[in-house]
Formats: sequence, structure tokens, C-alpha cells
Amino acid sequence: MPVAQIIINSIIRASELSLIALGLTLVYGLLKFSNFAHTEYAVIGVYLALIFNVYLGLDIFTSALLSAVITGFIAISFDRMIFRRLRKSSAIVLSVTSLGLAIAVRNMIRAIWGAEPRSYTIGLQEPLIFFGIRLTPVQIWIIVTAAVFMVAFHLLLHKTKLGKAMRASSDNPALAQASGIATEKVVVWVWFIASSFAAVGGILIALETYLLPYMGFAIIIPVFCATILGGIGNPYGAMLGALALGFAENFGLYLNFGNIFNLWGLFDVMKEIHIPTGYRDAISFGILIVILLIRPSGILGGRD
Amino acid sequence: MLEYLAYLSIMTGIYGILSLSLNLQYGFGGLANFGQVGFFCLGAYTSTLIVVLVKGPFILGLLGGIIAAGLFGWLISIPTANLKEDYWAIATLAAAEIVRLFFLNEDWIFGKGPYHGGAFGIGGIPRPLQSWFSATTYPFFYLCIVILCLIVTYFVIRLVTDSPFGRVLKAMREGDELPLAMGKNVGKYRMKVMALGGATGGLAGSLVAHFWSFIDPYAFMPIETFVVWAMVVVGGKGNNLGALVGAIIIQFFYSSTQFLKDYIPIDPQVLASLRMVLIGVLIVLVMLFMNEGLVKERKRIYR
Amino acid sequence: MIMLEVVDVHKSFGGIKALDGVSLGVERGSVTGLIGPNGSGKTTLFNVISGFYTKDAGKVYLGGERIDELAPDEVARKGVGRTFQISQAPEKMTVLENMLLAPKGQMGEGLWNALFGKRRVLNQERHNLEKALGLLNSVELIDLRNEYAANLSGGQKKLLALGRILMAEPEIILLDEPTAGVNPTLNKSLMRLIEDLRRAGKTFFLVDHNMKVISEICDKVCVLDFGKKIAEGTPREIQENEEVLEAYLSGSSKKWTQKVGIDS
Repeated sequence: MPVAQIIINSIIRASELSLIALGLTLVYGLLKFSNFAHTEYAVIGVYLALIFNVYLGLDIFTSALLSAVITGFIAISFDRMIFRRLRKSSAIVLSVTSLGLAIAVRNMIRAIWGAEPRSYTIGLQEPLIFFGIRLTPVQIWIIVTAAVFMVAFHLLLHKTKLGKAMRASSDNPALAQASGIATEKVVVWVWFIASSFAAVGGILIALETYLLPYMGFAIIIPVFCATILGGIGNPYGAMLGALALGFAENFGLYLNFGNIFNLWGLFDVMKEIHIPTGYRDAISFGILIVILLIRPSGILGGRD
Repeated sequence: MLEYLAYLSIMTGIYGILSLSLNLQYGFGGLANFGQVGFFCLGAYTSTLIVVLVKGPFILGLLGGIIAAGLFGWLISIPTANLKEDYWAIATLAAAEIVRLFFLNEDWIFGKGPYHGGAFGIGGIPRPLQSWFSATTYPFFYLCIVILCLIVTYFVIRLVTDSPFGRVLKAMREGDELPLAMGKNVGKYRMKVMALGGATGGLAGSLVAHFWSFIDPYAFMPIETFVVWAMVVVGGKGNNLGALVGAIIIQFFYSSTQFLKDYIPIDPQVLASLRMVLIGVLIVLVMLFMNEGLVKERKRIYR
Repeated sequence: MIMLEVVDVHKSFGGIKALDGVSLGVERGSVTGLIGPNGSGKTTLFNVISGFYTKDAGKVYLGGERIDELAPDEVARKGVGRTFQISQAPEKMTVLENMLLAPKGQMGEGLWNALFGKRRVLNQERHNLEKALGLLNSVELIDLRNEYAANLSGGQKKLLALGRILMAEPEIILLDEPTAGVNPTLNKSLMRLIEDLRRAGKTFFLVDHNMKVISEICDKVCVLDFGKKIAEGTPREIQENEEVLEAYLSGSSKKWTQKVGIDS
């Protein structure tokens, strides 16, 4: 497999994870807890889009947009019903509660749609082949969508009043509240943005692979890994972390670690050592553990 | 029917041990272990390895499971000193998954022959003293073994939590400053708690492996951890009896809904999913409205 | 005889120098005070001495032995007892449990003994219990012994903190604002207790903003400002010291000196 293909695959994976990781880090930065139900918002969005796209026959773009918006409102109502009552609780209480929510949501989806994989109706995908790289139009859309959303987020964060309020509330909630920045309003907006981004991210994944009720749980550790790697609480960290993880996962399987042992052919020993494909998931697990051991604040330091 | 009750009781007993173990770690030690199933898995596979590969006796398998999981618990406790509680929770989730992935991929450790290992699982795990009993009476014998282990586990953990050691744990739960200022090496305490928690989790794993006579990596998914969390949270964290109560309640709930499938015209798969939905909802409700669980932590009164 | 000696200690946080070459000594059997405007480094110094902060430079000696490289629990075991500005009271522990937490060398705190040395552990517990009850009597908390410590009033928590430390029989006791938030009656009890203990030979090093308290019970007072020691002497000498007045005044508080009774 040519290196260029691996790079492309890395970018695709990074694109899929980035929006979800961004949402997770936003919520953490503001409310200071790890939301284990976050990736389930992605799954909610995914299956809502299924309803619009497959059952109602809408095109995928409209479906995605509609489901992102609805997911946003669902997240706000979960906050109203559940997390708002626990604002003063410890991080672990919140995390365990979000765990319960996650279990309920993903199994509800499973109860409704069953365990078989599903797909959107997007027509046959003809891959473009150039310079030895294979790329389907969907994959191009994934990369473009992620990029567009990240730019939009950046503009939101720095060029709007809401963005300013978000930054202030995340840095110093007490001060923000005292100076009249309506923190609860910011909270509502953050939930909306975080979950709708997650929904879009999930749809991107589903576009490339398929829909499964447990897909949220399948990506929870990679998403946490990307978030923490980049520095939890820092949205740019989430983007960076997703990129780093995308590359780590793809190059991790490709690289021949045997080269390190035999010094690229100097010694005639251990010619081929690869990480077995069965351990693909373990790459993100391992990185997560290593990062937590040596630098929990992540690459960009985060805001703890 | 009676045999089914025996089966149910055995599983309740095994989960009771897991619940006591997690309660020790979280309820008393303040350590939110999201990887409890890792101890379960390690205990089961180690015990199986010893009994199946090395042809060791059941007791040795049990011991092996306990020690292996205890060591693992000690290992994952090392970074607790520097990690915030929810970070550590994620790390333990990842660690348990790595353990499972290891056993999923490394089928070679079980050698060739009838024991495939890997995704196929391992079958033919010999049950202790199986030949002494008939097929119908054996479960009752095994139930006795499980109850014995449960009682021992309860007493060990109860002794520990009632002792000065347990007192230090209670102080540590809410912050390191006070116990440190009192001269207690907080890191060491955490390691010991995790080692004991791991050991008891491993015991449960060994017991389940020999009961089912067959194990595969799909029996040790993260959902098992969360079911045990439901038991601790519902039953009452920081109370050993509460942990047992939680185990009984959740198990009862689980199995009673199994009977519903005969009366409610819903597909059993869907019913199974709905069961899990209810567990999730239960966790949320308890955290919102009954934070301490059913059996609250006891106040220690002197004289 | 110097019990605690601090030699040229430096500590910075980011760009801020909290302690800038502080040197001082606390005599055995004395009550020494540490005062200074807000942010002068008092609590930082306490944290460095008790091992909760690692210093950037300097040395700390306890009874001639260096303790500045030790972890906080090791420092505590060497004989340094300290309280915190915000009294620590674990929610689910009673007053008695708090007291029983403190003694050093409890066998039951080892896992092995907890499981297999029941009789020895029980003996030790009984001994500690008697001691705890006696101490609770002297801090007048005996009736609350089976109450959850978190339910105590602010002042009661301070008394508990003092009682707790005494259980550990420390060489020196660092008190961080023992009178803050305590009503006058309880305050008097606290002061009386410290006096009694001093007469019994204990050493105290305390931080407080209440000049009345400081002048009543301290033999010697050290003054910090911007991380430096600017004065040292008896309470009388300190109150008449020009530099000290400058330090307090140049902050914000002309009101402070008037409130505390220093003529300016």
C-alpha cells in the first residue's frame, strides 16, 4: 500500500473523529466532566438520518442537517432532565450518570432497529484513482465536511459574542457569571453545538462504513484518546488529537517495527514486526494510557 | 425449575463477589474502576490456563486467577496518584479492553487440540469433582462452593473496611491532604485496595470459568463492568451489605424479565435490549434521586 | 534550642515569586507567629515546610534533621503536625473516627494486621480510643463524638483539627489561621488550650490575621511581605516597626490597622 494512501486514510479517520472529539472537549471544558454518553449523541444523529434518508427518502445532506439539529435539541433536554440537577456533583457522579444514559440510549436504538448493520441510500460509489490512491466521493465529502465544520467552529469561537462567552465561561465560570455572561445560556448552546457536531461526525462514519447500534461504544475510547491527547478542554487540541490518532492508527499498522530492531537492514534479524490487525483498537487504547501516564494535560496543555 | 434456581443463585453469588470487589474500590476507596470486567476476564482465563493446559487442580486454578488479577489491580493502581478520578476511569476502561483483546488475539497460548482459544473461546473446562455428582445435582454442589467463596470474600472485605485500614480509606475518599498530613502514604493504600479488589474480581472470574465450562472473549465485554456498577450504585456504595443487595436486585430483575418473554409478545432480542435500557435508566434514576443507594453507609459509633 | 529552622527558601509559581529567600527559626516550646499581608507567602511557607509544595531552593530542618526533600506524609511522620485554612472534615466520618485517624504507627492500618492481627489491633484501638476521648474532653467536643464531623460548626471543626493533631503527638504544630471564622467564646477556649499545651512543652508556629490573638499568645513574631521576611521580634516590637506598618498600609488597609488597634 503506497504511503500516500495511508496518509489519505489517516486524514479520513481524523476527519471522522475530529467533530466528535471537539464536542466532547467542549462539554468537558465548560462543565468539567467526562460525558460517557457523548458518542451516543453521534449514534442518535446517525439513526435519525437513517429515518430521514431511508424511510422518508430525503437526500443525505438534508437528512444530516435535520438530524444534527434534532440531536442538538435532544442533548439539551437530556441536560435539562439529568445533568442540570447534578451541576454541583463530583466528576465521577456525573460520569457514572452519563454511563447509565449511554447504556439506555444505545440499547433503545438496538431495541428499535435490531443489531444488523444498515446503510444510507447514497448510490454506488465509484472510486477515483490517481497517483496510486483510491478515493471515493463520499470520502472526499467526509474530509471536506470536517474541514468546513472546524473552520465554522473557529469563526464561531473567535468572531461571535457566543464564542467569547464560551471561552470566558470555560476559563473562569465564577467570573463569567459574576460579570453577567449568562452561563446557563452558554451551557445550552454548548450542548447544542457539541451534540450536533457529534451527530455529523457519526453520520460521516456511517457513510463510510455502516450503521450499528453499538457504533458509539466502538469509538468511545478513540474519541477520548483524541480529546485527551490534544489537551482536554481545548477545542484545537481535539482537532490536533484526532489528526494525531488518525495517523497513529493507520501508520501503526503499516509500519514495520522490525526495522527498529535490525536497524533498517543492518542486522539480519527480526525482519518483519507489525502490530497485528487484531490489535488495531488497542493502538488508541495504548496511546490513551501512555498519555495519561506521562502527560495527562495533553499536547496543547488543556485547561484544567 | 429448581435447577434453574441453582443456576441463578450461582450467578448471583459470583456477581455478588464482583459487586463487593467494586464496592471496596469505589465505595470505600473512592477509585472509580471502569475496567472491573478486566479482573473477571483475567481470573477466568488464568484459571482456565492452569487447569486446562497445565492440568492443575481446581484450587490451583482458583489461586492463579486470584493472584493474576490481584497483580493486575496493583499494576493499574500505580498511575492513580497523578490522575483525576474520571481520567483514571477511562484508563481502566481501556486497560480492561486491552486484556480482552489480548485473549481474543493470542489463541496460541492455549496450544493446539480441542482448546482453540481466541475468538472461538475455550471449551471443556473441567469442573471440580464433577464425577462425584449427577448432572442434576452438580449445580447444587457448585452453589455451595460459590457461597463459601462469597462468605469468605464478604468477611475479608468487611474486616478490612472495619479496620483502621478502612478508616484511612474513608479519609482518602475526599481528598489526599488530610490523610497525608496525618502521615498516611496514600499511594500505597490505593495500591493495596486495587490489589485486593483485583484479587476478589479474579476469584469471581475463576468461579465462572469452571461453572460455564466454556469461556470466550465476548463474555467479558465492558457492559459487564457497567452491570456491576449498577449493582453497587443501586445497592448502596460504601456498604458491603448494600453491594450484595444490589447484586441480588439486579440479578433478579435480569432473570425475571427472561420469563416475561413467554407472556409478552415481543421478540426476545428486543426484550434483551429493553432490559439493558432499564438498567441504564435505573443507574440514572439512582444517581439523581437516591444517590446513596438503597442501603446507606453505616455510621461508625463507638461505645 | 531551635526546633524548626528554615534556611533561605525560594518558591515560585510560574512567574510569581511566592517565597524569596526566607530564613527563620522556631524555638522549642515557644509559640511563634507568622504574619503578613495577603499574598505575602505565609501559607506557601507552611506548605513547603509540611512537604505539600516542593521548594525551588533552600533547606528546612526539624530538630537538626533535613526534611525539605520529603513527601508530605513522611514529614508528618517525622513530627510536623499541621492544620489547613479550610478545616478538612471528610463527610462520612464521625468526630471520633477523625481523632482515631491521627495516631502514628497504627498496626491495623496494615492489610496483614487488619486481617490476621485482630487482637493486637483491638488493643491498640482501645488505647487510642481512651486517648481520643480524653482529648475531646479538653477541646470540649466530647458530646459530639459520634456526630459526622462535616456537621460541626466552623469553630468546632478548628477545635477538632487541633485535637486530631494532638493525637499524633507531633514535635511541632503548624496552625494555619486557627481563629478565622471562630466565634469569640470558642476562640478563648482555643487560646487557652494553646497556652496549656505550650506550658506542657509543645511548640507552635501559627499564622493568623488577628493581631490581638498574636500579641496575646506569641513569644515571637515573624513578618513576611512579598515572600521576604521583613521583621522579627516580640509582638510589641513588631507593632512599633515602621517597615511592618508600611507593608500593611501600602496594600489596601488603612482600615486594617485601625481595626486592629495600631495607631498610625
